[in-house]
Amino acid sequence: MDPAVVGGDAPLRPSVVLPVFEGPLDLLLHLVREEKVSIWDIPIARICAQYHDALRAMEELDLEIAGEYLVYAAWLLLIKSRLLLPRHEGEEKDPRQELVERLVEYEKVKAAAAELAGLVELRRGVEAVRFAAPAAPEEVELDLEDVDVLALSRALTKVLERHVREHPQTLLLEPIRFSVRDKIVELFELIRRQRSFPLLSHLLTRPDRLESVTLLLAALELVRLGAARTHQRRPFAEIYLTPTGAALPMDALTDA
Amino acid sequence: MPEFKNLAAMIEAILAVAGDPVTLDALVAVAGEGVEAKQVEDAIEFVRLRHEGEGSGLQVEHVGGGWRLATRSEHEWAMREYLGYRARARLSQAALETLAVIAYRQPITMPEISFLRGVNSAAVVRTLVERKLVVVAGRKQVVGTPLLYRTSKEFLVHFGLPDLSALPTPEEVEQVAGEGASEP
Repeated sequence: MDPAVVGGDAPLRPSVVLPVFEGPLDLLLHLVREEKVSIWDIPIARICAQYHDALRAMEELDLEIAGEYLVYAAWLLLIKSRLLLPRHEGEEKDPRQELVERLVEYEKVKAAAAELAGLVELRRGVEAVRFAAPAAPEEVELDLEDVDVLALSRALTKVLERHVREHPQTLLLEPIRFSVRDKIVELFELIRRQRSFPLLSHLLTRPDRLESVTLLLAALELVRLGAARTHQRRPFAEIYLTPTGAALPMDALTDA
Repeated sequence: MPEFKNLAAMIEAILAVAGDPVTLDALVAVAGEGVEAKQVEDAIEFVRLRHEGEGSGLQVEHVGGGWRLATRSEHEWAMREYLGYRARARLSQAALETLAVIAYRQPITMPEISFLRGVNSAAVVRTLVERKLVVVAGRKQVVGTPLLYRTSKEFLVHFGLPDLSALPTPEEVEQVAGEGASEP
């Protein structure tokens, strides 16, 4: 719980020292201690009000309030309302009981954390001595103690990556299924019959991409050979192919 | 079979090049045939006491299930001065709390950790795993089979503990907790 000075650089607002809390339990424990009340007999109404005040203060300081704080805020309100209802002796447990149990457990966690911090404080400057010995032998010693599932999965990933690197995918050559020459003949037939042939919709309705590409090449070839003309009204509109009347120079067609 | 002082000197040499804690078994194995574990233990203790007594800059410490040679904390400032590094990054309060929960309740799942701390602890646990202070210890056989976490050997070394039983007992911890709050 390091105190963080907030708002120190804003001259118009007084600087506020607000402790940084690890969560709702930490905040509640802080409030209980501030009030100097017993953790076993928390005055819920008072603590609840202060808890909500603290959340508002955090909000005003634009601190992001984690959802867990709101869960506990609601829980406190619930406990408070339960306490207002008349209770019959021995019928029900104290509505505060679960909250108290959690606070007590959390207090132990904080104490244990403080113990650990103390242990580590004693060890500042304790560094392992490792004289530079000749390089390790060929077989790396595995520290089985600290090998866990994550280490195993990392090792597996490395092995798989190396496998992929060392075994590159073989190049797959697909057989040529469409020839430009065939398509030129086919397209030429089509435009001769239809006079004005919608090229774009024809291309877009082919089930096979390779066929569309071959057809486009064929159309360009027809124009180059002077056997067809293209028309387009405006950009992105349909492209029409019309025959020029010239015959298809069969011997000019390559076997591509 | 090397004589006792020779054995002690040999162990010191091994610790000097090992860096990581060396287990008793490993030292017995190097000592060779005819050397009992008890003799090796005595020799380690001999080396340890010699460093304690002679105003040595080094110490033999029993951490992480083995022994290792390390510098002493008295000279921290001098080493820092010479090496020109700043103090080691300290563990945050969140990290310490999470470590405490794991250390005393291991093996434990992420939801259990978050419940005890009252806040989602996933990011902290991930950082601790990255720092190798915490390792995965299988899965809990409940719905969703969540991962179980435990502290590592690195954790013991970091906190200067020979093993988990050397952690402050829950009773000792509770005494500390009692000092801060008024209990009946």
